[in-house]
Amino acid sequence: MKKTHIPKLDDFLGGGIPEGSSVLFYADPGVECEAFGYQTLQSRLEEGDSGFIFTNVTEPSSIIYEFEKFGWDLEKKVDDKRVFFVDGSSYFIGAPVTGKYGIEDYSQIEDVVIKAINDVPDGLGVINNLSTLIDYLDDGETVRIINKWNQVANDNKTILIYIFTEWDYENALIEQIKDSMDCLVNLSTIEERVIIGQGFMVTGASWTTPSSNRVLFNIMRPGGVKIFIPKILVTGPFNAGKSSFVKKIAKNSVSVDRMALGQVPTTIAMDIGHMEYKGFNADVFGTPGQERFDLILDILSKEAVGAFIVVDSTAPETFARAKEMMKRCKAEAIPKVIVANKQDLPDSLSPEKIRKVMNIDQSIPIVPTSLHLNEGIEDAMDALLEILYR
Amino acid sequence: MSTVESGIPGLDELLQSEAGYDLGGIPQNTSTLVYGPPKVGKSIFSYQFANHGLNLEEPCLYITADEGMKQLQQNMIDFGWYLQNAMEKELLYVIDSISSLSGAPIETTNTYTPSKINDPTDLMVKVGIGTRFVFKKSNEFRSVFDSLTTPFAFNPEPMVIRFLKTYIRRLQEAGSTLVITYTEGVADENTEKILKSVVDNVIMLDGSYLTFRSSEGLMGTAEYQITNQGLVLGEGEIL
Repeated sequence: MKKTHIPKLDDFLGGGIPEGSSVLFYADPGVECEAFGYQTLQSRLEEGDSGFIFTNVTEPSSIIYEFEKFGWDLEKKVDDKRVFFVDGSSYFIGAPVTGKYGIEDYSQIEDVVIKAINDVPDGLGVINNLSTLIDYLDDGETVRIINKWNQVANDNKTILIYIFTEWDYENALIEQIKDSMDCLVNLSTIEERVIIGQGFMVTGASWTTPSSNRVLFNIMRPGGVKIFIPKILVTGPFNAGKSSFVKKIAKNSVSVDRMALGQVPTTIAMDIGHMEYKGFNADVFGTPGQERFDLILDILSKEAVGAFIVVDSTAPETFARAKEMMKRCKAEAIPKVIVANKQDLPDSLSPEKIRKVMNIDQSIPIVPTSLHLNEGIEDAMDALLEILYR
Repeated sequence: MSTVESGIPGLDELLQSEAGYDLGGIPQNTSTLVYGPPKVGKSIFSYQFANHGLNLEEPCLYITADEGMKQLQQNMIDFGWYLQNAMEKELLYVIDSISSLSGAPIETTNTYTPSKINDPTDLMVKVGIGTRFVFKKSNEFRSVFDSLTTPFAFNPEPMVIRFLKTYIRRLQEAGSTLVITYTEGVADENTEKILKSVVDNVIMLDGSYLTFRSSEGLMGTAEYQITNQGLVLGEGEIL
């Protein structure tokens, strides 16, 4: 087993990648995917293996510079002949071809990469980027060549890592590519009109049953792939049950609050907790509901990837306030779920009625809950996870 | 239908002149392909569109693929349009996919990032970052891609189309009004047909006439000149 040293990934893969395996990192357009290949290579080089990078997206010098920004010295390892380039880019942009091998015509690519694989037994090769190959070769030819490379790599105990951006290819082609790999890692975006986060999940591995957890990540320079613990906001009007909701979804939450004598206990600062649900990890921030603390909402809402808006289903007079708070939290720009609390009370409005009164778009789930009876809480979490990962 | 002012003197008036349509500008949240032979003012159209929006405090995502950032700034200064102010106000985010061809490492700032001409994956990552940046300022923003000519020269044509479809979808979802430019004859005929079909509106510039066609079938045409104020349209007519 060879470790990638990408946080969480080795655990998900049952310890790492077996020698000779092929791994496809397939990404939604917009996800920073090449860092996964580069970081794995860096880890292998540090542990004494040798490797190569096939590039058809940029010249070797610019990849060395990328590594430098991550804090990794690739140049020295090139000089020490621990790693080399297959330069499939420079010629096509009119730059001098560098690297151990160069490609000046796509008909050479199959054989040149096979040579490269044979040069690094027990090592690792990174193919960046598979998607750019497809339109140069044709679909059938691409699949044939990948299968060939994987075969040679397997015989030679060389790990091959493919970086693949999933543009609008035919499904059949994507299936064939996936079928030819030992391991699949999906890199996806979390979007609400714009990309607000990115996550990875192992969707297949021939040697183990991978964890089905999806982990959010950031690419740090320096640093590489780092796990990102997102922030989830819980907001809503005064007395809707925000603190109780935070306590339900984040068992060890603490209230940073202060009780004024003679008044109802209510959150005047915030509730903080950590939720772990179906492999999804997040820090949970419950906001105060009173208007005099609106200033805090701005600060809390920065970097949030999702929100629960808790409303009191028996108090339609607070719905306008709930909408105002959604706006203040910039919740229109992040995935959100409305938690229609107090459904156990006789005069509570149904979710559909609430949707109408609040004038909420159908795309936003309204989940009936009773925090009092412990009902609907998982439904609310499921609803948010579903829109985060759709 | 809400519209955004193009900033081209005469164009918004032309689109407004026919009572039945009453556009008064480019339909908001649509994509427009500005195309024509070389040297007819496609880039100038882009500068004007972006600059006009910035003057109205509308943020702009600007992808410059034919000329580097310095050249872009210089070209705009020739018309008296300065980007510095908009960059300081963080209204403008520029992705420069051409300067890195020189081979020299280029630093990213909070409003400027280099990308690579034959790496559509990287370009889409930068588009994601830039879109988020301007979207935070306002979800009514402009975006310019000037132009597809260089990407077509360095990438297989189907790849450019794949990129473009994703680009248009992402920016429209974010609320942007898009202008994309293209030099006629660079890609093959079939690719050009696809290109015109993936956008909502097209504007053809032929050196003397500007012709606009919207997704609703509105056609307008007018003579134009390139002046020191940029493109200026003469009397036009709705066809």
